[in-house]
Amino acid sequence: MHKYLSNKTAIVLFMLPALLVYSIVIFYPVLQTVYRSLFEWDGLSEAVFIGLGNYSELMGDPLLLTSLRNGLVFAVVLVVFQIGLGTVLALVCADPKVKGRKLLKTAYFIPVVLSVTVVCQLWIAIYDPTNGLINRLFDMLGIPYQQNWLSSPTHSIIAIAFVNAWQYMGYQFALLYAGVKSIPEQYHEAATIDGCSKWMAHRVVTLPLMKETFKFCFIIAITSGIGAFVQMLIMTNGGPGTSNYTLTFMIYRYAFMESNYGYASAVSVVLVAISLLATLIINKVFDRNETA
Amino acid sequence: MKTKLRNTRAFAMILAAALFLAACGGNAADQTESTNAENGKISLKVYAQHFDDDTAGPFDYAVEQLKTAMPNVEIELDEAVQDGYQKLKTYAATGNLPDIYFTDWATLQTFAKSQNVVVLDDYEATEAFKSNMNPGLETRLVAPDGHVYAFPDTGIEFQLIYYNKEIFEKVGIETPIKTVNQMVDAAKKLKEAGYVPMSIFAKEKWITTALYNGFVVREQPQGLGALGEDGLTALPEPYVTAAEQVKALQQAGLFDANATNTNYDQASSMFYQEKAAMFVNGQWEIYSSQEKLGDKVDWMYWPAKDEATYEASKFYINGAGSPQGYAVSPSSKNVDTAVEVAAFLAEKAAEYRYTQLGSPIVASKTDKPIASDVPAMMQRLATEVLPNADAYSVALNKTEIQNAVNDSTQSMLIDGFTVDNFVENLNRALKKANE
Repeated sequence: MHKYLSNKTAIVLFMLPALLVYSIVIFYPVLQTVYRSLFEWDGLSEAVFIGLGNYSELMGDPLLLTSLRNGLVFAVVLVVFQIGLGTVLALVCADPKVKGRKLLKTAYFIPVVLSVTVVCQLWIAIYDPTNGLINRLFDMLGIPYQQNWLSSPTHSIIAIAFVNAWQYMGYQFALLYAGVKSIPEQYHEAATIDGCSKWMAHRVVTLPLMKETFKFCFIIAITSGIGAFVQMLIMTNGGPGTSNYTLTFMIYRYAFMESNYGYASAVSVVLVAISLLATLIINKVFDRNETA
Repeated sequence: MKTKLRNTRAFAMILAAALFLAACGGNAADQTESTNAENGKISLKVYAQHFDDDTAGPFDYAVEQLKTAMPNVEIELDEAVQDGYQKLKTYAATGNLPDIYFTDWATLQTFAKSQNVVVLDDYEATEAFKSNMNPGLETRLVAPDGHVYAFPDTGIEFQLIYYNKEIFEKVGIETPIKTVNQMVDAAKKLKEAGYVPMSIFAKEKWITTALYNGFVVREQPQGLGALGEDGLTALPEPYVTAAEQVKALQQAGLFDANATNTNYDQASSMFYQEKAAMFVNGQWEIYSSQEKLGDKVDWMYWPAKDEATYEASKFYINGAGSPQGYAVSPSSKNVDTAVEVAAFLAEKAAEYRYTQLGSPIVASKTDKPIASDVPAMMQRLATEVLPNADAYSVALNKTEIQNAVNDSTQSMLIDGFTVDNFVENLNRALKKANE
């Protein structure tokens, strides 16, 4: 092993295929996007170099603020429902005393394998203000809270984010459950012998030891929230107006509806930068806690 | 080791087979081309919509006619998909444009800039096509920059308000509705009677823009097109008035609460199942509505602020003619023939629409008689509207303003979005695009 690690040629040779694939599939397109963002370009005609023109225009674009706000709301909803609820369910399912754990585990994962279109259509029906399940349920229970769930310019983003949270909660649950199960039983037993209750043991033993899993789950949830797109496209088409726009929806609009690929590239660069920044912050926060 | 060798051999054989098959494929294509050359036939690839009776009928008819008129030309159809012409743009970006393609003005503008469309100004076929066009349709052929890029088959299409006469009678609404106030009263009555006053598929933003434009043309005949004027940075009064009218109607409950999430199928079925009393769509909806509701359905003119304005602006049409149709790729090996064929396809498709579908909204004239039963509503359009049309609205050519109008008109259909918000959004877009 030591011999291999000291052989630089071997290291380069073994890493080369992966690096090559990464460079072609990820790094080169990102660089291309950064380069294209410096041009005024409709995708067909000759591009005109405008330096940071697209970026300065973007800073004054009211859609940017709407998109950032929606991305943030989306990410918060995903974190709360997918990680919050996913953790509780993972702890419950990991408890051998809970009956029907296998069934629950399968049930939580079913929405993940469904098509996004199917799930969105299902929730469009549930959210329907006249005949939808939620409003009907409120009506039956005598709760005077009839909402137009998908038409509110301020709150519909939460309703849409919840659909994503509901569908992919099973995925986060699977990661968290694997995290819980990877912790040796003895730690938990030792805590119980020391007088910890079941939930106290989870708080002081299980959760801190799941830090790496949580870090990964946070990165997935927050970057998915910032870059959300499909649910808005299917459920409200970004509307009413532009109230449900996210950065990805902006890219779609400027590239494919307005043929303004240079500007769309600038938005893409902002999206990549924010996602990287979010990942960096999450890493820093978790690493700091580890040091402390 | 043996297994490795076997795998390598198997991989090499698969690779060889793949290369061999690819080579065969190439030969087959070459043979087809040479056969065509031997037969003296010119093969042209046409990218056109061909997915329902309205699109396949005219195209197939035109191709059949072409076999007699130009027997040396073979048409290969590449069926267009409804993707906002993204596939066509990809063809252009990769240098694979078909010889002839059907597209809209937005795409033609991009193609003209990138020299992916033949300028048809000086062709004989263009002169002939122009001389055979129905009057008043110049904007359908000649672009705002003065050039001809495509041969249109349809005339200027426009939007109508359809209504169910039986429901109106039952609820006690007098027709025609001439003013916005009368429409407000009608909306209230219909709502009280348990009907959705007007179903609209406002999940698609173009229809909310069309609805708004209907009110604009009562005040300003040019409609939204006038917003593209350079230097115009604040929304003029007629447009604010129209916004106030749409808002007043929304507040009176004219639209379903879920209108902005309603698609065409949902909105039309609400109207056809007689749950909604009115419906907004283009004149092409006449066929379906007549088929589904028979004599119960008719269309009405857009209401205005008062009866005098209504009468004066009744024949200002809520439809703008921008260039679209069959265009020719400069990369075609047979540009001259392709130009002739494009003009021919457009003319014959128009002929089919007029003779077989009974639509008077076609680009070119024909001396053939109408062969099918024309729906009463279409007859009314042909005799009452088209001969008396005072003006058609003008197409808006600035995408930024168009998008702002689309977004803001859709938002007007929900609570909480005010006329001030509308004006603010539009002013921002006007300033950016026109200053």
